[in-house]
This record gives sequence, structure tokens and C-alpha cells, in this order.
Amino acid sequence: MNWHAVKRQLNGWAILSFLAILLIVLPGIVVLIELFAPVNDNWQHIQEYLLPRYVRNTLFIMLATGVLTTVIGTSLAWFVTVYDFPFRRFFKWALILPLAIPPYIGAYTYHGILNYTGVIQTTLRNQFEITVDQSYFNIMSIQGTVFIFTLFLYPYIYTITRAFLHNQSSSMIENARILGRGSWDIFFTVVIPISRVAIIGGVSLVLMEVLNDYGVVKYFGIQTFSTAIFSTWFGMKDTSSALKLAGTLMILVIAILMMERLVRGRKQFSYASTKVKPLKPRPLHGWHRYAVFAYVSIVFAIAFVIPFTQLTAWTFLTFDTVFTAAFWQLVWNTVRVAFIATMIILLFALIIANYTRLFPSNMTRVISKVTTLGYSIPGAAIAIAVITLFLWLDDQVLSLARLFDLSQTFVFRTTLIMLIFAYVIRFLAIGYNSIESGFEKVGKSFTEASRMLGWNTVQTFLRVDIPMIKGAIMSAFILVFIDIMKELPLTLFLQPFNFSTLATQAFKYVSDEKIHEAALASIVIVLMSGLLIFVSHKVLDKEAD
Amino acid sequence: MFVQINDLHFSYKGAHEETIKGFSLSITKGEIISLLGDSGSGKSTILRLIAGLEMPNQGVVVVNDCVCCDDCQFMPPEDRGVGMVFQDYALFPHMTVEKNIRFGLHKLGRKERNARVEEMLALVNLTEFRHRYPYELSGGQQQRVALARALAPKPALLILDEPFSNLDTSLQHRIRDDLRRLLKQTGTTTIFVTHDEEDAEALADRIVYLGEGKIKKQVMTENNKTFNPQIPCFV
Repeated sequence: MNWHAVKRQLNGWAILSFLAILLIVLPGIVVLIELFAPVNDNWQHIQEYLLPRYVRNTLFIMLATGVLTTVIGTSLAWFVTVYDFPFRRFFKWALILPLAIPPYIGAYTYHGILNYTGVIQTTLRNQFEITVDQSYFNIMSIQGTVFIFTLFLYPYIYTITRAFLHNQSSSMIENARILGRGSWDIFFTVVIPISRVAIIGGVSLVLMEVLNDYGVVKYFGIQTFSTAIFSTWFGMKDTSSALKLAGTLMILVIAILMMERLVRGRKQFSYASTKVKPLKPRPLHGWHRYAVFAYVSIVFAIAFVIPFTQLTAWTFLTFDTVFTAAFWQLVWNTVRVAFIATMIILLFALIIANYTRLFPSNMTRVISKVTTLGYSIPGAAIAIAVITLFLWLDDQVLSLARLFDLSQTFVFRTTLIMLIFAYVIRFLAIGYNSIESGFEKVGKSFTEASRMLGWNTVQTFLRVDIPMIKGAIMSAFILVFIDIMKELPLTLFLQPFNFSTLATQAFKYVSDEKIHEAALASIVIVLMSGLLIFVSHKVLDKEAD
Repeated sequence: MFVQINDLHFSYKGAHEETIKGFSLSITKGEIISLLGDSGSGKSTILRLIAGLEMPNQGVVVVNDCVCCDDCQFMPPEDRGVGMVFQDYALFPHMTVEKNIRFGLHKLGRKERNARVEEMLALVNLTEFRHRYPYELSGGQQQRVALARALAPKPALLILDEPFSNLDTSLQHRIRDDLRRLLKQTGTTTIFVTHDEEDAEALADRIVYLGEGKIKKQVMTENNKTFNPQIPCFV
């Protein structure tokens, strides 16, 4: 490479991208450094007596949730794509809605429905004078955890697999039909093998969510990596061991990601072809029709209608006590912090995506990979790494102030900066993926045309690139905003004193056993997410057309 | 010489072999050159190198006494004064015909700019289509917009990448005659790439045959009789 090639690579886009990436990897570096630091007695104790249990529980939950979400998500995607049954068009997008209910809200709602004072047992006692064995109704177990995760995370697999089947498989499935294969046969011999890559992509998203979760396992009292990190950190006041746990967890995540890569191999996960012929759904007759309808309805009822109805009922019950000026403050806090973080993420994502697109090289490939890494690091690991980093930063600021004899009292850890920083690390990947695929769809020739007409890269970016990928930016905004609004572990541990969001306030009520009071905040989250999910699918559908 | 290209070398990232191996060409002002070659012969790459969209490993490009690139400098595409018509036209879909043409005229004053837009719309016969969006136009009309947009800033050199590949045959014949008339009318020095010998014969003053990243031979066309030949040709 000659020197003006180097000069061309080292432009404003590159420098800004490097800075953004540096911020992203900093906490990861903190965790990795601690992983190799000398161990203390606590760690030995954790490693010997506790770690095996954390690993066992975490792996069991991951395995069981992975299998169940795959079965439910794939079968739903198959039914909705291939068959025509009553209300198919409604279910097509309604089956995504459980994604609007964060698992921790689902968890306490189902606990509230099933426990001794819940609607089921009360009705059985009062109307039918039946008292049931409590152990049948105890959801606060490891199986209950799997049940909750399955219900509220299957849409990840459903949406990806459905999109794949819808766009990719029509000719293959039609051919298989012409060759005289039956439906079951086609499902197992054609559909599963060809959509394997899509399904694995969905499952890895589910597993990342499971590893990230803190709300469900904390509420159900299940010891996993997430709860272990926080209890070591707050309970034992042992940051060093907590960081080691976070590092171990990160290694687990990287192992999953590498496994996914291995299984995927060189197979393309996205569909590049523009000549897609959607599959025409086939009408079902007789009992098949009702069986499919019943199955789809039952999943939708359990994963959305029942918890949503229960939350609505509780909301009416407690509305007067909860709906106060303080509640508006919560909504404002939630929207404000999510909005600021989302805008920063979009800015970073646009800059990095534009850089990696305009100057492709090995370096930009690495940058692109690193950008998406944050999403796979569980919240617990990010939280402790970010706090450690900011404590160090505050120390530096304070000692610098002392050096100049200033009565400096500003510290980062009392501000929202820390929380927003953590959001950016965790959710940059979501914004980046969406914007990157927008750029990919548009191609480079419009940018080149603009440059040939005398505009430089920055002017082109503002006048051509951004207007051209408006749709992708819009859907990136929605996806990131929803995720931040629902986010629990980071917000719980990094929010400044006297600051709460809808999510953390709901969780606080629940932790104080005020389940009914948590309903209003929860339902606002569910309604806002549901609405945004609906809008984003409309946007995406329009984009696809 | 108006355009001077000397010993251009280029290889794509990760490729072992050079795509362009010592390409040199001189062009006089107002001449229309056709680069003819099979796919993979590097003809589009040469256009991208002249435009500044790719950076050569070595070589010199001079356009109108302005050194676009040599061993110690590389001028970005926006400063070269080279106009380009893309194979897929790359008309901005979020802008009307008029706005597309106006896009490259930001260096002119308001009055001048308006006059230039009118002139270009009239030149390509699209005045009544000015408020249409690109997707509301036929393929031939889109091509004329792309041409008008590229010509509007009065580029020293115009390059066209496979200008007829998206048109059907009957349209292709009519348009290439129109195009030649238009280029001669504006006195625009032009390089265009094609794999169709008939296109090259009809439009160009000189055909440059390309193979394996090098010039195989150069031929003056019949058109050249109306153009003043100053270049030795190797038939």
C-alpha cells in the first residue's frame, strides 16, 4: 500500500469509527484483564461450590428453552406460511406480539395468576370449593423459568424462520409437492434442512436473551450467572470475583457465537435474491383446519392474551393509587433516556456503517464484527464492567482536581452518562445491523454518482445516503428504542440515585410483593412496544415491497 | 493531449493478478473513445480509475492539464471535473428529474443554475417531465436524465459505463445516434465502455480494444472522417 492509500484510509470517518469502537471494547477489556488477575479466597469458594450450580442451571435453562422455542417457533412459522386457516392473516403478525412482553413482566404476571391468591385458585376455591396441591401451581422453579422464556422468546425464531420460508422456499416446497411428498414429509425432509441456518440464527438470539436475563431468574430465585454476578458484587462486595464471573460468562457467549458460525459455515443467512416468489398458502380441510387453528390460538392466548388481560385487570384495580404525577415522571424518564441513547446509537451506527461500506478492508471487517459484539455480552457483565470503568474514571477526575486544588465534586457515576454509555454498548449492534442492511440494499452507485457530481463524502452522506436509507434508519430507531425501554438489568444497576424508569419501577414493586401496583408501568411498556413492533413490521413490509 | 493516461496498474484487494497491467491512452479534446472488450477485460475498472472511484497501484491520469493522480497525489472524485453515467443510471429516487439535474450545479449562482437546468432539460427533450420521479420514466428517458445530470456541470471529460445495456435493441439504435449528436453538439470529450462492436462503431471516433488489462489494438471508425484525426492508429 502506498502512502496516499494510507492517507485515504485514515479519514474523518475512520477516526470517528475507531473512537466509537474504542468506547465499545473498553469494558470488555476491563473484564478480560480481571479474568487473568490473581484469585482471592472468595473466588476459590465460588469456583468450588457455586460455579458448578450456576453453570448447571444456566445450561439447563438454555438447552430446554432452546429446544422448546425451536419447536414452537418453527412449527408456527410453517403453519402460517404454508396453510390457510381461519384468521391466518391476523395470526401472521399477532404471533410476534409476545415479544412486546418482557419476560420479567410475564414471569410475575404468571406467578400472580397461578399463586394461592391468583385468579385460578381463587375461582376454584370460591366457585367450586376445590383446593389444589400448591406444588402443581408453583411456577417459581427452573421449569417455570423455561416456561416463561419459551412463551416470550419464541417470536425471535418465528419471525426469522417465517421470513425465510416466505421468501426462499416456494419453489422447493412446490417441487416436493409435485413429486408427491406429504406435508409432514416435506416439513422434515425439506423445510427443516433448508431453514436450518435461519432457525439457528433465531435460537442464538433466544439464548443471548436467556443469558442476559436478570428479572425472571431473580424473581423466581433461580441461581444463574446473572444473579450470581450481582450477588457476588453486592452481597459479597467482591467486585473482582464478580468480574471473573462476568468474564467466564463472556467466554460462554463467545463459544455459542463460534458454534453458530461453525454450523452456519459459508451458507448465507440472508436472502440476496430479489426474485422471490412468495409461497401461496394451501387451504386446510376437515379437522386439520381446526387443529392448526386451535394450536395457533392456544399459543397466542398463553403468550399474549392471558397475561395482557391479567395486567389490564390489575391496572384497573390499582389505577387510582399508581397513576400520579410521579408516574408521568417515570414515563418521561423512560422516554427521555431511551431517546437520547437511541439517537447516539444511530449516530454511531451510521458513521461506522458508512465507513465500513466506503472503505472496505480487513480493518473495517474487524470493526464491523466488534460493533455487533456488544449485543451478545449479557447485561450483568456490561453493568459491572461499566461501573468499574467509571469508578476508575471518577478517581482520575478527583485526583486531577486535587492536583489543581479545585473543589471538584463532579463524578460520572451519579449521572445518566454511565447508564446511556452501557445502553450504547449493548444495543449498538441492533441499530448497526439494521442500518448496514439498509446500505447493502441501496448499494454504492448513488453515493458514487453524487461524488462524480462534485459533493464530498460528508455532503453526500447528508444529501443522498441518509435520505436513501430513511426506512432502515426508522426501523433501527424503533428496534433500539423498544429494547432500551424494556431493558432491566443495566437500568437497575446503573441508574442514578432517585431515577427510575417504567421497567425498574415495575420490578421494584414486584420485589416488594406489590404485583398489582406493577401492572400500570408494565402495561405501558407492553402497549408502547406492541405499537412500535406493529409500526416497524409495517415499515419493513413496505421496504420489502 | 487533453486526456493523458500513462502506465496505469491496478489490482483488486486480495487478488494475486493485476486487473489493469500498464494501460496508457491519449485523447484529444472533443474525441469520443470506445473501450471495447469482453467481460472481465478490465474496461469498467479503467473508467472507475479515471473517475477516482478506485485508486491505482501506480500510473498517472491527467485531464485538461490537471493531474488527477500520480505517485504522490490522489484527487478525490468530486474534485476531478469528470462526469459519469452509470450502467444502472443511479438516478436519485428521492429527487425529481429537475432536482437530479440540479444536484451537481451547486457551484453555480442561482440564476446561472436555473438557466443551466432549463438548457439541459431542453437538450435531452425532457422539459415536460421535469417534475416526474425516476421510477415514473421509461428506460430511455431515465438514460437521458442520467446524461443530462452528468453533462450539466460541464465536465472536462464524460465517461459512460455500458450506456445501452439496459435498453432494448430498437431504442438502442435510436439513442446512440442521438447521443453522438448530443456529445458533438456540446463538444464533450467522452470515453464509453461497451462489449457491443456495433455500438462502438456507431458512436465512437476511435475504438480501443482491450484484453487482459492491456490495449490490444486501436482502430479509427468511419465517424472519424468527420472528426479531425491527429492520432496515429494501429490497424
